Amino acid sequence: MAKPATLRQILVVTDGCSNSGISPIAAATLAREQGITVNVIGVIDKNELGEQGEQEIREMAQAGGGMHDIVYPAQLAQTVQMLTRKAMTRTIQHVVNKELKQILGESEMDNLSPEKRMQVAGMVDELGEQSSLEVVMLVDTSASMKNKIAAVQQAIFDFSISLRSRSGKSKMAVCSFPGKEKHLDTLIPWTNQVEKAYQLSSSLTMSGITPTGPAITEAIALFGHIELPEKLANKYQKNSRINEEDGGFMQDHVF
Amino acid sequence: MFSNQKMPEAPLYMEGKWHGKDYSVIKELGRGANGVVYLVFHKGTKVALKVGLDSIDLLMEANVLTQLQSHNEKIGPAIYDVDDVVIEGKTHAYYAMEYVEGERLDRSLKQVGKEWLPLLLIQLLSHLHVIHQHGYVFGDLKPENMIVVKSGKQVCLIDFGGVSKQGHAVRQFTEEYDRALWQAGDRRADPGYDLFSLAVMMVRLCTDKETWNRLPSVRRHVQMLYAIIADNEHVAPYRIPLQKALEGRYQTAIQMKADILHAFHQKSVNVAGSSVASNKEGLGSKLLGGLFVVSMLLLAGSLYYLWM
Repeated sequence: MAKPATLRQILVVTDGCSNSGISPIAAATLAREQGITVNVIGVIDKNELGEQGEQEIREMAQAGGGMHDIVYPAQLAQTVQMLTRKAMTRTIQHVVNKELKQILGESEMDNLSPEKRMQVAGMVDELGEQSSLEVVMLVDTSASMKNKIAAVQQAIFDFSISLRSRSGKSKMAVCSFPGKEKHLDTLIPWTNQVEKAYQLSSSLTMSGITPTGPAITEAIALFGHIELPEKLANKYQKNSRINEEDGGFMQDHVF
Repeated sequence: MFSNQKMPEAPLYMEGKWHGKDYSVIKELGRGANGVVYLVFHKGTKVALKVGLDSIDLLMEANVLTQLQSHNEKIGPAIYDVDDVVIEGKTHAYYAMEYVEGERLDRSLKQVGKEWLPLLLIQLLSHLHVIHQHGYVFGDLKPENMIVVKSGKQVCLIDFGGVSKQGHAVRQFTEEYDRALWQAGDRRADPGYDLFSLAVMMVRLCTDKETWNRLPSVRRHVQMLYAIIADNEHVAPYRIPLQKALEGRYQTAIQMKADILHAFHQKSVNVAGSSVASNKEGLGSKLLGGLFVVSMLLLAGSLYYLWM
Protein backbone atom coordinates (compact mmCIF):
# COMPACT_ATOMS: atom_id res chain seq x y z
CA MET A 1 0.00 0.00 0.00
CA ALA A 2 1.25 3.45 -0.94
CA LYS A 3 2.08 5.91 1.79
CA PRO A 4 -0.75 8.38 2.26
CA ALA A 5 -0.12 11.89 1.03
CA THR A 6 0.47 14.72 3.47
CA LEU A 7 -2.33 15.21 5.98
CA ARG A 8 -3.42 18.83 6.39
CA GLN A 9 -5.35 20.24 9.31
CA ILE A 10 -6.55 23.56 10.61
CA LEU A 11 -7.03 23.66 14.38
CA VAL A 12 -9.24 26.48 15.62
CA VAL A 13 -8.91 27.47 19.29
CA THR A 14 -11.74 29.80 20.29
CA ASP A 15 -13.98 30.71 23.20
CA GLY A 16 -17.10 31.95 21.55
CA CYS A 17 -19.16 32.72 18.53
CA SER A 18 -17.84 34.29 15.40
CA ASN A 19 -19.37 37.65 14.67
CA SER A 20 -17.81 38.94 11.52
CA GLY A 21 -17.60 37.93 7.87
CA ILE A 22 -18.29 34.63 6.16
CA SER A 23 -19.83 31.90 8.30
CA PRO A 24 -17.15 29.68 9.86
CA ILE A 25 -19.20 26.64 8.90
CA ALA A 26 -19.06 27.66 5.24
CA ALA A 27 -15.36 28.35 5.59
CA ALA A 28 -14.80 24.90 7.12
CA THR A 29 -16.71 23.33 4.22
CA LEU A 30 -14.42 25.22 1.88
CA ALA A 31 -11.35 23.91 3.70
CA ARG A 32 -12.61 20.36 3.53
CA GLU A 33 -13.09 20.67 -0.22
CA GLN A 34 -9.40 21.56 -0.41
CA GLY A 35 -8.42 18.43 1.45
CA ILE A 36 -7.90 20.19 4.78
CA THR A 37 -9.54 18.85 7.93
CA VAL A 38 -10.85 21.42 10.42
CA ASN A 39 -10.70 20.59 14.15
CA VAL A 40 -12.13 22.96 16.73
CA ILE A 41 -11.43 23.36 20.44
CA GLY A 42 -13.63 25.58 22.58
CA VAL A 43 -11.80 26.85 25.68
CA ILE A 44 -13.98 27.91 28.58
CA ASP A 45 -13.37 29.43 31.97
CA LYS A 46 -16.62 28.69 33.71
CA ASN A 47 -19.74 28.16 31.71
CA GLU A 48 -19.57 31.07 29.38
CA LEU A 49 -19.82 29.32 26.04
CA GLY A 50 -23.59 29.05 25.71
CA GLU A 51 -25.59 26.85 23.41
CA GLN A 52 -24.99 28.94 20.33
CA GLY A 53 -21.23 28.86 20.76
CA GLU A 54 -21.29 25.11 21.30
CA GLN A 55 -23.42 24.58 18.25
CA GLU A 56 -21.11 26.65 16.08
CA ILE A 57 -18.07 24.70 17.26
CA ARG A 58 -19.80 21.40 16.59
CA GLU A 59 -21.04 22.40 13.15
CA MET A 60 -17.67 23.86 12.19
CA ALA A 61 -15.92 20.56 12.97
CA GLN A 62 -18.62 18.56 11.21
CA ALA A 63 -18.40 20.70 8.09
CA GLY A 64 -14.60 20.50 8.19
CA GLY A 65 -14.61 16.71 8.54
CA GLY A 66 -12.81 17.02 11.86
CA MET A 67 -13.34 16.64 15.58
CA HIS A 68 -14.16 19.07 18.32
CA ASP A 69 -14.08 19.33 22.07
CA ILE A 70 -14.85 21.91 24.72
CA VAL A 71 -12.36 22.04 27.58
CA TYR A 72 -10.92 24.11 30.44
CA PRO A 73 -7.58 25.85 29.84
CA ALA A 74 -5.73 23.22 31.91
CA GLN A 75 -6.76 20.45 29.52
CA LEU A 76 -5.86 22.35 26.39
CA ALA A 77 -2.43 20.88 25.64
CA GLN A 78 -3.66 17.31 26.03
CA THR A 79 -6.74 17.98 23.91
CA VAL A 80 -4.77 19.53 21.06
CA GLN A 81 -2.66 16.39 20.76
CA MET A 82 -5.61 14.02 21.10
CA LEU A 83 -7.85 15.78 18.59
CA THR A 84 -5.08 16.02 16.04
CA ARG A 85 -4.23 12.37 16.36
CA LYS A 86 -7.84 11.17 16.25
CA ALA A 87 -8.62 13.29 13.21
CA MET A 88 -5.51 11.94 11.51
CA THR A 89 -6.46 8.35 12.22
CA ARG A 90 -9.87 9.03 10.85
CA THR A 91 -8.56 10.51 7.60
CA ILE A 92 -6.27 7.53 7.10
CA GLN A 93 -9.09 5.18 7.91
CA HIS A 94 -11.07 6.70 5.05
CA VAL A 95 -8.14 6.20 2.69
CA VAL A 96 -7.65 2.61 3.82
CA ASN A 97 -11.37 2.00 3.56
CA LYS A 98 -11.36 3.18 -0.04
CA GLU A 99 -8.43 0.94 -0.90
CA LEU A 100 -10.09 -2.02 0.76
CA LYS A 101 -13.19 -1.37 -1.27
CA GLN A 102 -11.11 -1.46 -4.42
CA ILE A 103 -9.45 -4.71 -3.43
CA LEU A 104 -12.41 -6.49 -1.90
CA GLY A 105 -15.22 -5.08 -4.01
CA GLU A 106 -18.07 -3.66 -1.98
CA SER A 107 -16.65 -4.87 1.30
CA GLU A 108 -15.79 -2.07 3.71
CA MET A 109 -13.87 -2.21 6.92
CA ASP A 110 -17.06 -2.71 8.93
CA ASN A 111 -17.71 -5.87 6.98
CA LEU A 112 -14.43 -7.45 8.04
CA SER A 113 -14.36 -9.68 11.09
CA PRO A 114 -12.98 -8.02 14.25
CA GLU A 115 -9.90 -10.24 14.09
CA LYS A 116 -9.09 -9.02 10.57
CA ARG A 117 -9.83 -5.46 11.59
CA MET A 118 -7.37 -5.71 14.46
CA GLN A 119 -4.70 -6.17 11.80
CA VAL A 120 -6.04 -3.25 9.79
CA ALA A 121 -6.01 -1.13 12.96
CA GLY A 122 -2.30 -1.81 13.33
CA MET A 123 -1.74 -0.72 9.75
CA VAL A 124 -3.79 2.47 10.15
CA ASP A 125 -1.81 3.30 13.27
CA GLU A 126 1.47 2.74 11.46
CA LEU A 127 0.41 4.86 8.46
CA GLY A 128 -0.69 7.64 10.78
CA GLU A 129 2.64 7.63 12.52
CA GLN A 130 4.65 7.68 9.28
CA SER A 131 2.64 10.17 7.24
CA SER A 132 3.53 13.84 6.88
CA LEU A 133 1.41 16.27 8.84
CA GLU A 134 0.83 19.99 8.41
CA VAL A 135 -1.21 21.87 10.98
CA VAL A 136 -2.19 25.53 11.15
CA MET A 137 -3.27 26.54 14.64
CA LEU A 138 -5.75 29.39 14.50
CA VAL A 139 -5.93 31.15 17.84
CA ASP A 140 -8.85 33.40 18.69
CA THR A 141 -7.34 36.48 20.37
CA SER A 142 -10.51 38.45 20.89
CA ALA A 143 -10.65 40.22 24.25
CA SER A 144 -12.35 37.42 26.20
CA MET A 145 -9.43 35.06 25.50
CA LYS A 146 -7.09 37.23 27.57
CA ASN A 147 -6.90 35.05 30.66
CA LYS A 148 -6.57 31.86 28.63
CA ILE A 149 -3.57 33.03 26.65
CA ALA A 150 -1.02 31.47 29.03
CA ALA A 151 -2.64 28.08 28.53
CA VAL A 152 -2.76 28.59 24.76
CA GLN A 153 0.92 29.49 24.75
CA GLN A 154 1.77 26.36 26.67
CA ALA A 155 -0.37 24.31 24.27
CA ILE A 156 1.47 25.75 21.25
CA PHE A 157 4.88 24.93 22.65
CA ASP A 158 3.64 21.55 23.76
CA PHE A 159 2.15 20.73 20.40
CA SER A 160 5.48 21.30 18.73
CA ILE A 161 6.95 18.66 21.08
CA SER A 162 4.19 16.24 20.11
CA LEU A 163 4.91 16.84 16.43
CA ARG A 164 8.62 16.29 16.89
CA SER A 165 7.90 13.03 18.72
CA ARG A 166 6.27 11.59 15.58
CA SER A 167 8.16 9.44 13.11
CA GLY A 168 6.67 11.19 10.07
CA LYS A 169 7.55 14.69 8.90
CA SER A 170 5.53 17.39 10.61
CA LYS A 171 5.26 21.13 10.56
CA MET A 172 3.01 23.69 12.16
CA ALA A 173 2.17 27.36 11.87
CA VAL A 174 0.39 29.56 14.37
CA CYS A 175 -1.94 32.41 13.42
CA SER A 176 -4.11 34.71 15.46
CA PHE A 177 -7.41 36.26 14.52
CA PRO A 178 -8.45 39.04 14.31
CA GLY A 179 -5.18 40.32 12.88
CA LYS A 180 -3.87 43.85 13.10
CA GLU A 181 -4.81 44.71 9.53
CA LYS A 182 -6.11 41.53 7.95
CA HIS A 183 -8.36 38.92 9.48
CA LEU A 184 -5.34 36.88 10.34
CA ASP A 185 -1.81 37.49 11.59
CA THR A 186 0.80 34.79 11.17
CA LEU A 187 2.55 34.64 14.54
CA ILE A 188 4.75 31.65 13.82
CA PRO A 189 5.41 30.72 10.17
CA TRP A 190 5.80 27.05 9.22
CA THR A 191 8.22 25.37 11.58
CA ASN A 192 8.83 22.08 13.32
CA GLN A 193 10.14 23.66 16.48
CA VAL A 194 8.60 26.43 18.53
CA GLU A 195 11.06 28.13 20.86
CA LYS A 196 10.40 27.62 24.54
CA ALA A 197 10.74 31.31 25.20
CA TYR A 198 8.11 32.21 22.63
CA GLN A 199 5.72 34.82 24.05
CA LEU A 200 2.30 34.87 22.48
CA SER A 201 0.94 37.73 24.54
CA SER A 202 3.48 40.25 23.27
CA SER A 203 2.07 40.06 19.78
CA LEU A 204 -1.64 40.20 20.45
CA THR A 205 -4.32 42.54 19.35
CA MET A 206 -7.15 42.35 21.80
CA SER A 207 -10.26 43.11 19.85
CA GLY A 208 -13.96 42.48 20.20
CA ILE A 209 -14.34 41.15 16.69
CA THR A 210 -14.18 37.41 16.13
CA PRO A 211 -13.86 36.77 12.39
CA THR A 212 -13.54 32.96 12.62
CA GLY A 213 -14.84 32.33 9.09
CA PRO A 214 -12.56 34.78 7.28
CA ALA A 215 -9.62 33.53 9.36
CA ILE A 216 -10.22 29.94 8.26
CA THR A 217 -10.53 31.08 4.64
CA GLU A 218 -7.22 32.90 4.86
CA ALA A 219 -5.54 30.02 6.66
CA ILE A 220 -6.36 27.74 3.73
CA ALA A 221 -4.02 29.85 1.61
CA LEU A 222 -1.12 29.03 3.97
CA PHE A 223 -1.05 25.47 2.70
CA GLY A 224 1.19 25.64 -0.34
CA HIS A 225 -0.65 22.98 -2.28
CA ILE A 226 -3.64 25.04 -3.33
CA GLU A 227 -4.71 28.38 -4.60
CA LEU A 228 -7.91 29.71 -3.20
CA PRO A 229 -10.59 29.49 -5.88
CA GLU A 230 -12.09 32.95 -6.12
CA LYS A 231 -15.48 31.69 -7.27
CA LEU A 232 -16.01 29.38 -4.31
CA ALA A 233 -15.02 32.03 -1.83
CA ASN A 234 -17.54 34.42 -3.37
CA LYS A 235 -20.25 31.83 -3.31
CA TYR A 236 -19.76 31.18 0.37
CA GLN A 237 -19.51 34.86 1.13
CA LYS A 238 -23.08 35.33 -0.14
CA ASN A 239 -24.45 32.48 1.91
CA SER A 240 -22.84 33.60 5.11
CA ARG A 241 -25.14 33.98 8.05
CA ILE A 242 -23.71 37.17 9.41
CA ASN A 243 -22.67 40.05 7.18
CA GLU A 244 -19.75 42.35 7.73
CA GLU A 245 -22.07 45.32 8.43
CA ASP A 246 -23.68 43.91 11.56
CA GLY A 247 -20.35 42.50 12.69
CA GLY A 248 -20.54 44.60 15.81
CA PHE A 249 -23.87 43.21 16.83
CA MET A 250 -22.55 40.24 18.72
CA GLN A 251 -19.22 41.61 19.80
CA ASP A 252 -17.58 40.20 22.85
CA HIS A 253 -17.21 42.34 25.90
CA VAL A 254 -14.13 44.49 25.70
CA PHE A 255 -12.33 44.98 28.97
CA MET B 1 -16.92 14.21 24.35
CA PHE B 2 -16.82 14.48 20.57
CA SER B 3 -20.36 14.91 19.42
CA ASN B 4 -19.63 13.72 15.89
CA GLN B 5 -19.11 10.29 17.36
CA LYS B 6 -21.16 10.41 20.51
CA MET B 7 -21.74 7.19 22.38
CA PRO B 8 -25.39 6.19 22.36
CA GLU B 9 -27.06 4.82 25.48
CA ALA B 10 -26.24 1.14 25.80
CA PRO B 11 -29.19 -1.16 25.35
CA LEU B 12 -30.09 -3.47 28.23
CA TYR B 13 -29.12 -6.47 26.19
CA MET B 14 -26.33 -6.85 23.62
CA GLU B 15 -25.37 -9.59 21.25
CA GLY B 16 -22.12 -9.81 19.30
CA LYS B 17 -22.55 -9.61 15.54
CA TRP B 18 -19.84 -12.15 14.69
CA HIS B 19 -19.49 -14.52 17.62
CA GLY B 20 -23.02 -14.23 18.96
CA LYS B 21 -22.09 -13.98 22.65
CA ASP B 22 -24.78 -12.23 24.65
CA TYR B 23 -24.49 -9.75 27.50
CA SER B 24 -27.03 -8.06 29.73
CA VAL B 25 -25.95 -4.61 30.84
CA ILE B 26 -25.99 -3.88 34.58
CA LYS B 27 -24.47 -0.40 34.73
CA GLU B 28 -21.91 1.97 33.30
CA LEU B 29 -18.52 1.73 35.03
CA GLY B 30 -16.76 4.65 33.42
CA ARG B 31 -15.92 6.66 30.33
CA GLY B 32 -12.53 7.06 28.75
CA ALA B 33 -11.32 8.90 25.69
CA ASN B 34 -11.74 5.79 23.57
CA GLY B 35 -15.01 4.40 24.82
CA VAL B 36 -17.42 3.48 27.57
CA VAL B 37 -16.96 0.56 29.96
CA TYR B 38 -20.04 -1.30 31.18
CA LEU B 39 -20.51 -3.92 33.83
CA VAL B 40 -22.41 -6.76 32.19
CA PHE B 41 -23.53 -10.30 32.89
CA HIS B 42 -22.46 -13.10 30.60
CA LYS B 43 -23.76 -16.56 31.49
CA GLY B 44 -24.20 -15.48 35.07
CA THR B 45 -20.68 -14.04 35.44
CA LYS B 46 -19.79 -10.39 35.86
CA VAL B 47 -17.77 -9.13 32.91
CA ALA B 48 -16.51 -5.67 31.93
CA LEU B 49 -17.31 -4.63 28.37
CA LYS B 50 -15.74 -1.70 26.59
CA VAL B 51 -17.66 -0.26 23.66
CA GLY B 52 -15.52 1.91 21.39
CA LEU B 53 -16.18 5.41 20.16
CA ASP B 54 -13.57 4.78 17.55
CA SER B 55 -13.15 1.29 16.21
CA ILE B 56 -9.44 1.63 15.34
CA ASP B 57 -8.36 2.80 18.79
CA LEU B 58 -10.41 0.15 20.53
CA LEU B 59 -9.06 -2.64 18.36
CA MET B 60 -5.49 -1.48 18.99
CA GLU B 61 -6.15 -1.86 22.71
CA ALA B 62 -7.71 -5.29 22.23
CA ASN B 63 -4.71 -6.30 20.19
CA VAL B 64 -2.24 -5.38 22.94
CA LEU B 65 -4.34 -6.99 25.68
CA THR B 66 -4.47 -10.21 23.67
CA GLN B 67 -0.69 -10.20 23.26
CA LEU B 68 -0.08 -9.60 26.97
CA GLN B 69 -2.53 -12.33 27.91
CA SER B 70 -0.06 -15.05 27.01
CA HIS B 71 2.12 -13.91 29.90
CA ASN B 72 1.86 -15.60 33.28
CA GLU B 73 1.86 -12.45 35.28
CA LYS B 74 -1.39 -10.64 35.66
CA ILE B 75 -0.76 -7.27 34.06
CA GLY B 76 -4.15 -6.28 32.80
CA PRO B 77 -7.61 -7.80 32.64
CA ALA B 78 -7.99 -11.03 30.69
CA ILE B 79 -9.75 -10.48 27.37
CA TYR B 80 -12.58 -12.84 26.39
CA ASP B 81 -14.28 -11.61 23.26
CA VAL B 82 -13.75 -9.02 20.51
CA ASP B 83 -16.80 -8.28 18.40
CA ASP B 84 -19.19 -5.68 16.99
CA VAL B 85 -22.53 -4.61 18.35
CA VAL B 86 -25.18 -2.60 16.52
CA ILE B 87 -26.63 0.18 18.67
CA GLU B 88 -29.28 2.44 17.17
CA GLY B 89 -28.35 1.30 13.67
CA LYS B 90 -24.64 2.06 14.10
CA THR B 91 -21.93 -0.57 14.41
CA HIS B 92 -19.56 -0.23 17.37
CA ALA B 93 -16.59 -2.43 18.12
CA TYR B 94 -16.34 -3.78 21.65
CA TYR B 95 -14.27 -6.14 23.69
CA ALA B 96 -15.26 -8.10 26.77
CA MET B 97 -12.74 -8.51 29.56
CA GLU B 98 -12.44 -9.77 33.07
CA TYR B 99 -14.14 -7.53 35.64
CA VAL B 100 -11.34 -6.62 38.03
CA GLU B 101 -12.85 -5.93 41.42
CA GLY B 102 -10.87 -3.62 43.61
CA GLU B 103 -10.02 -0.08 44.51
CA ARG B 104 -8.31 2.58 42.44
CA LEU B 105 -4.65 2.86 43.45
CA ASP B 106 -4.92 6.30 45.10
CA ARG B 107 -8.04 5.34 47.07
CA SER B 108 -6.60 2.01 48.07
CA LEU B 109 -3.49 3.73 49.46
CA LYS B 110 -5.64 5.86 51.74
CA GLN B 111 -6.94 2.67 53.31
CA VAL B 112 -3.81 0.56 53.53
CA GLY B 113 -1.29 3.35 54.15
CA LYS B 114 1.45 5.00 52.16
CA GLU B 115 4.08 2.44 53.19
CA TRP B 116 2.48 0.08 50.68
CA LEU B 117 3.27 2.38 47.78
CA PRO B 118 6.86 1.20 47.14
CA LEU B 119 5.67 -2.39 47.07
CA LEU B 120 2.93 -1.59 44.58
CA LEU B 121 5.42 0.36 42.49
CA ILE B 122 7.72 -2.65 42.41
CA GLN B 123 4.85 -4.71 41.01
CA LEU B 124 4.04 -2.00 38.49
CA LEU B 125 7.64 -1.98 37.34
CA SER B 126 7.44 -5.72 36.68
CA HIS B 127 4.27 -5.15 34.64
CA LEU B 128 5.88 -2.33 32.69
CA HIS B 129 8.90 -4.46 31.97
CA VAL B 130 6.71 -7.07 30.28
CA ILE B 131 4.88 -4.41 28.26
CA HIS B 132 8.20 -2.91 27.20
CA GLN B 133 9.53 -6.32 26.21
CA HIS B 134 6.56 -6.72 23.90
CA GLY B 135 7.69 -3.54 22.12
CA TYR B 136 5.11 -1.22 23.66
CA VAL B 137 4.92 1.59 26.16
CA PHE B 138 1.89 1.98 28.47
CA GLY B 139 1.75 5.74 27.90
CA ASP B 140 -1.03 7.03 30.12
CA LEU B 141 0.21 5.91 33.56
CA LYS B 142 -1.86 7.38 36.37
CA PRO B 143 -3.60 6.15 39.52
CA GLU B 144 -6.94 6.26 37.71
CA ASN B 145 -5.68 3.52 35.40
CA MET B 146 -4.64 1.14 38.15
CA ILE B 147 -6.65 -1.08 40.42
CA VAL B 148 -5.50 -2.79 43.57
CA VAL B 149 -7.29 -6.11 43.40
CA LYS B 150 -9.52 -6.93 46.35
CA SER B 151 -8.12 -10.39 46.86
CA GLY B 152 -4.59 -9.63 47.99
CA LYS B 153 -2.54 -6.54 47.30
CA GLN B 154 -2.08 -7.07 43.59
CA VAL B 155 -2.02 -4.08 41.32
CA CYS B 156 -3.51 -4.37 37.87
CA LEU B 157 -3.44 -1.91 34.93
CA ILE B 158 -6.89 -1.33 33.52
CA ASP B 159 -7.07 1.26 30.74
CA PHE B 160 -4.79 0.44 27.82
CA GLY B 161 -5.92 3.39 25.69
CA GLY B 162 -2.50 5.03 25.85
CA VAL B 163 -0.48 1.98 24.85
CA SER B 164 1.87 2.96 22.03
CA LYS B 165 4.44 1.17 19.92
CA GLN B 166 7.97 2.00 20.97
CA GLY B 167 9.42 4.63 18.66
CA HIS B 168 5.99 6.07 17.86
CA ALA B 169 4.55 9.16 19.48
CA VAL B 170 2.67 8.40 22.72
CA ARG B 171 -1.00 8.02 21.80
CA GLN B 172 -2.58 9.40 24.93
CA PHE B 173 -1.25 11.05 28.05
CA THR B 174 -2.31 13.05 31.09
CA GLU B 175 -0.63 16.41 31.66
CA GLU B 176 0.22 15.76 35.30
CA TYR B 177 2.43 12.77 34.48
CA ASP B 178 3.66 13.76 31.04
CA ARG B 179 7.41 13.98 30.47
CA ALA B 180 7.11 16.74 27.86
CA LEU B 181 5.04 19.03 30.06
CA TRP B 182 7.62 18.72 32.83
CA GLN B 183 10.15 19.83 30.21
CA ALA B 184 12.10 16.64 30.71
CA GLY B 185 11.98 15.24 27.18
CA ASP B 186 9.73 14.54 24.26
CA ARG B 187 6.72 12.34 23.79
CA ARG B 188 8.32 9.55 21.84
CA ALA B 189 7.34 6.21 23.30
CA ASP B 190 10.38 4.67 25.03
CA PRO B 191 10.54 2.78 28.35
CA GLY B 192 11.84 5.95 30.01
CA TYR B 193 8.54 7.70 29.28
CA ASP B 194 6.64 5.26 31.50
CA LEU B 195 9.30 5.35 34.21
CA PHE B 196 9.10 9.14 34.28
CA SER B 197 5.32 9.02 34.75
CA LEU B 198 5.68 6.41 37.45
CA ALA B 199 8.16 8.58 39.36
CA VAL B 200 5.88 11.64 39.19
CA MET B 201 3.01 9.47 40.32
CA MET B 202 4.92 8.22 43.34
CA VAL B 203 5.81 11.76 44.38
CA ARG B 204 2.27 12.96 43.86
CA LEU B 205 0.69 10.14 45.83
CA CYS B 206 2.92 10.94 48.80
CA THR B 207 2.40 14.69 48.68
CA ASP B 208 -0.48 16.47 50.34
CA LYS B 209 -2.91 18.29 48.10
CA GLU B 210 -1.89 21.78 49.21
CA THR B 211 1.78 21.27 48.37
CA TRP B 212 0.94 19.71 45.04
CA ASN B 213 -1.53 22.45 44.07
CA ARG B 214 1.14 25.06 44.70
CA LEU B 215 2.92 23.82 41.58
CA PRO B 216 2.37 26.18 38.65
CA SER B 217 0.00 24.94 35.94
CA VAL B 218 2.35 25.93 33.14
CA ARG B 219 6.13 25.71 32.71
CA ARG B 220 6.63 23.01 35.25
CA HIS B 221 10.09 21.72 35.76
CA VAL B 222 11.48 18.57 37.39
CA GLN B 223 13.52 20.75 39.79
CA MET B 224 10.21 21.51 41.48
CA LEU B 225 9.77 17.78 42.07
CA TYR B 226 13.24 17.44 43.58
CA ALA B 227 12.31 20.11 46.11
CA ILE B 228 9.19 18.16 47.08
CA ILE B 229 11.11 14.89 47.31
CA ALA B 230 13.76 16.38 49.63
CA ASP B 231 11.06 17.63 52.00
CA ASN B 232 8.97 14.52 52.15
CA GLU B 233 9.74 11.68 54.55
CA HIS B 234 7.78 9.14 52.46
CA VAL B 235 9.68 9.67 49.22
CA ALA B 236 13.03 11.01 50.42
CA PRO B 237 14.45 7.47 50.90
CA TYR B 238 13.74 6.86 47.20
CA ARG B 239 15.40 10.07 46.06
CA ILE B 240 18.05 8.34 43.97
CA PRO B 241 15.81 6.06 41.87
CA LEU B 242 13.20 8.82 41.52
CA GLN B 243 15.75 11.34 40.35
CA LYS B 244 17.25 8.84 37.92
CA ALA B 245 13.79 8.12 36.47
CA LEU B 246 12.97 11.83 36.21
CA GLU B 247 16.24 12.44 34.41
CA GLY B 248 15.66 9.54 32.04
CA ARG B 249 18.72 7.63 33.16
CA TYR B 250 17.04 4.21 33.24
CA GLN B 251 17.01 2.04 30.12
CA THR B 252 14.72 -0.58 31.59
CA ALA B 253 12.05 -0.95 34.25
CA ILE B 254 14.07 -3.74 35.83
CA GLN B 255 16.93 -1.35 36.67
CA MET B 256 14.55 1.02 38.41
CA LYS B 257 12.91 -1.87 40.23
CA ALA B 258 16.30 -3.00 41.57
CA ASP B 259 17.08 0.51 42.86
CA ILE B 260 13.67 0.93 44.50
CA LEU B 261 14.08 -2.44 46.17
CA HIS B 262 17.52 -1.47 47.37
CA ALA B 263 16.22 1.81 48.80
CA PHE B 264 13.37 -0.07 50.43
CA HIS B 265 15.79 -2.39 52.22
CA GLN B 266 18.05 0.50 53.22
CA LYS B 267 15.08 2.34 54.68
CA SER B 268 13.91 -0.66 56.70
CA VAL B 269 17.42 -1.31 58.00
CA ASN B 270 17.95 2.36 58.89
CA VAL B 271 14.67 2.67 60.77
CA ALA B 272 15.30 -0.49 62.73
CA GLY B 273 19.00 0.33 63.17
CA SER B 274 18.39 3.77 64.62
CA SER B 275 15.90 2.38 67.15
CA VAL B 276 18.42 -0.21 68.25
CA ALA B 277 21.16 2.40 68.64
CA SER B 278 19.03 4.65 70.80
CA ASN B 279 18.02 1.83 73.11
CA LYS B 280 21.18 0.33 74.53
CA GLU B 281 19.45 -1.19 77.57
CA GLY B 282 19.78 -4.94 77.65
CA LEU B 283 16.18 -6.08 77.54
CA GLY B 284 14.96 -3.25 75.34
CA SER B 285 17.68 -3.91 72.86
CA LYS B 286 16.90 -7.63 72.77
CA LEU B 287 13.22 -6.95 72.36
CA LEU B 288 13.84 -4.46 69.58
CA GLY B 289 16.31 -6.81 67.97
CA GLY B 290 13.64 -9.48 68.03
CA LEU B 291 11.10 -7.11 66.58
CA PHE B 292 13.57 -6.19 63.89
CA VAL B 293 14.04 -9.82 62.91
CA VAL B 294 10.28 -10.35 62.88
CA SER B 295 9.71 -7.28 60.75
CA MET B 296 12.41 -8.32 58.30
CA LEU B 297 10.83 -11.74 58.05
CA LEU B 298 7.45 -10.16 57.45
CA LEU B 299 8.96 -7.91 54.86
CA ALA B 300 10.67 -10.79 53.10
CA GLY B 301 7.42 -12.72 53.21
CA SER B 302 5.36 -9.94 51.76
CA LEU B 303 7.91 -9.24 49.07
CA TYR B 304 8.01 -12.87 48.12
CA TYR B 305 4.24 -12.93 47.99
CA LEU B 306 4.11 -9.80 45.90
CA TRP B 307 6.58 -11.06 43.36
CA MET B 308 4.78 -14.28 42.74
